[in-house]
Amino acid sequence: MSRLLLARLTVPALAALFAVWSPPVAPAGAATGAETFGSVCAACHTIGGGKRVGPDLAGVNDRRPAEWLLKFIRSSQALVESGDPVAVALFAEHKVAMPDFPYSDSEIREILEFVKRGGAGGAAQPPAAAALRTTTPEDVRKGLELFQGTLRFANRGPACNSCHHVNNDAVIGGGILAKELTTVFGQMGGPGVQAILGKPPFPVMDQAFASRPLTEDEIFALVAFLQDADQHQQFQKPRDYGFKLFTSGLAGLVFLLALYGLFWRRRKVHPVNHAIFARQVRTQ
Amino acid sequence: MDIRAQISMVFHLDKCIGCHTCSVACKNIWTDRKGAEYQWWNNVETKPGTGYPGRWEDQEIYKGGWQRDTNGGIQLKGAGKKKGLINIFHNPNFPTVEDYYEPFTYDYLNLVEAPAGDDQPTARPVSLITGEPIDVKMGPNWDDDLGGTPDYARNDPNLEKLSPAEREAMFQLERMAFFYLPRICNHCLNPGCVASCPSGAIYKRGEDGIVLINQKVCRAWRMCVTACPYKKAYYNWYTGKSEKCILCYPRLEAGLAPACMHSCVGRIRYIGVLLYDAERIQAAASAADADLVARHLDMLVDPFDEEVIAAAQKNGVPDSTIKAAQDSPTYRFVKEWRLALPLHPEFRTLPMLFYVPPLLPVVASVREVADEQKKKSLNEISKVWPDNWLYDTSTEELWGTVEQVRFPLQYLASLFSAGDTGAVAARLKKLMAVRIFRRFKTVGDVSEEIMTKVLADTGLTQETAEAIFRLTALAKFNERFVIPPAHREQALEMLEFTGDARGSTGFGFRERPARGL
Repeated sequence: MSRLLLARLTVPALAALFAVWSPPVAPAGAATGAETFGSVCAACHTIGGGKRVGPDLAGVNDRRPAEWLLKFIRSSQALVESGDPVAVALFAEHKVAMPDFPYSDSEIREILEFVKRGGAGGAAQPPAAAALRTTTPEDVRKGLELFQGTLRFANRGPACNSCHHVNNDAVIGGGILAKELTTVFGQMGGPGVQAILGKPPFPVMDQAFASRPLTEDEIFALVAFLQDADQHQQFQKPRDYGFKLFTSGLAGLVFLLALYGLFWRRRKVHPVNHAIFARQVRTQ
Repeated sequence: MDIRAQISMVFHLDKCIGCHTCSVACKNIWTDRKGAEYQWWNNVETKPGTGYPGRWEDQEIYKGGWQRDTNGGIQLKGAGKKKGLINIFHNPNFPTVEDYYEPFTYDYLNLVEAPAGDDQPTARPVSLITGEPIDVKMGPNWDDDLGGTPDYARNDPNLEKLSPAEREAMFQLERMAFFYLPRICNHCLNPGCVASCPSGAIYKRGEDGIVLINQKVCRAWRMCVTACPYKKAYYNWYTGKSEKCILCYPRLEAGLAPACMHSCVGRIRYIGVLLYDAERIQAAASAADADLVARHLDMLVDPFDEEVIAAAQKNGVPDSTIKAAQDSPTYRFVKEWRLALPLHPEFRTLPMLFYVPPLLPVVASVREVADEQKKKSLNEISKVWPDNWLYDTSTEELWGTVEQVRFPLQYLASLFSAGDTGAVAARLKKLMAVRIFRRFKTVGDVSEEIMTKVLADTGLTQETAEAIFRLTALAKFNERFVIPPAHREQALEMLEFTGDARGSTGFGFRERPARGL
């Protein structure tokens, strides 16, 4: 019951709930552990490549008992809520909740087997992470346009500001459905953000972009924009109108009503026989 | 020359008895629906009176019709591109439902279902809009037969051009008179409703000029309601669409006269085709007030003229329609005999419904006669009046009184000729001449000399006068209603290939038989 309540209150938990109904990946029956790792896990984790969004998984089979890993992969937040000290510590360190993955025991074991092998026989690294060009102001501007939806994604995916907000002078009123992304670049680093955009591990985002993925150019531009937003966040002072916005709106309303009153001052208000009707006796 | 065909109407006001049969026929067929209860596509008004909706003729209130601009062209008075856009969400000149009337019925059920009580049960009036009991304040013919004259008849917008003395004279008890003005949509050649519609939902049918509102395209902007100076476009508050008279086109296409005309008790209504030159529409609509009627009639062309026929054929007017135009009673009344006039031509919509102005009530003269000898010769029980005034309806006297008819000519001119009293007088004189001619023939109390003189004065021959009499008084259905064939079979062929059904199963099946085909 408490989980349900929490789900109603917090968006990430809502997303986790979604995951139960609509698995973020195709049923893993056919996929091998290598494939699943490459397409899902590698967005946040490396095997010996260092920390990304989540920890480096090299040697994880030795660090944690297999039962614990199974539970954590199925639902990390359930483990955190149950007060498991290791899980709580991980969540405190990385600050990003790992989504729930409804895989069967054997599938998870296959993935862990693949991790144990040290990533041999599969693409452990997301390919896009390999080559990052240096960003130019052009890229940042393109990223801004893509973020706001003034420039549409090539595959017609939804614009970022439908759900996300970034604290930036140029962005007015982004969405509040999902995480605020001003410092996401600082938290996850370029490759992390890039990996998430290429293959979103979050169920709702994955659904949204499943059939209309972002192109590499677009991902690069968005990362450039987010990097810029992160670096310049100190200087961004989007104006907060506060109560003034309300009062100016009220003043505008009064002005418009006055204008309409002037404009339509000769409008026909009464029926032509108003005087006749007015003097007639009415039934009580 | 761009010759097109238009179904046009003539209403002979001398024959209208104000029975409202036309209105009821129309209501029963077309507007007996929720949201349309207040609409009377056909209504009959008493003149002088304010009509339905109240004071519809006063365009300072409703801003309907066209007005001339400084360049000599015409602009819609209250609608059009710029004004329409500015007022698109709020039409400042829109008539309220009280301007028409709040439709009502009576709670008849209460008469039979009321519980036993001390009083007779009554059927209270109930609003057809809210369903609540209401006080009836207005109806579609509220000022019928000069009812409520101080409020209604005296506020007739057409009285504005009369001098106060003339106005007073109209309402003196002994002189008081009225006539009926039945009104339907005029199916104008320059319709304000079509021009004002922001959705482009209103159109004028090519084949017969009937103006229709496409119910699927109408977006309820309601600009047509104000733009029609005759207030013959109505808004249906239930369907959210505007509606208007459709001239019973389903009946016309089947060769039947519109319901209002078919049911007309006084047989005042005539329908027929007029051929007109579309190139002259603009000149006619933007003519100076004094020329409006003349230009309007100029636009109508002679259906016997070879050139006209050739041009009409070139435009795709079927031969059957040209034949109908040649037999058209409206062409006779409007153009050939010049007896009919359009209603309020100054609205510049070029209405295609024409009215023969009313000569009735019979104008008589009162004069003093020396009839003492005659009175004395009567039997002593005879009723004898103490005065010696004669109420004289003999036509010899009448000829001189056309200019002093009960309605000042200026009043009729304000209705039918944009203030041109000459146009009205000429038509009234013709009507009077035909009357004198018939009186010569049937009663015989008019000398041939006088008859010949009045006919010559009005430019009528005896044959024409006889023809006018016949079409006015004796015409049967087929003479009054000359309806061109609609050629629905050809229209059908344009939509589908009729050969498709050939060789297929007998009557066809709505459901295929179980054993298969």
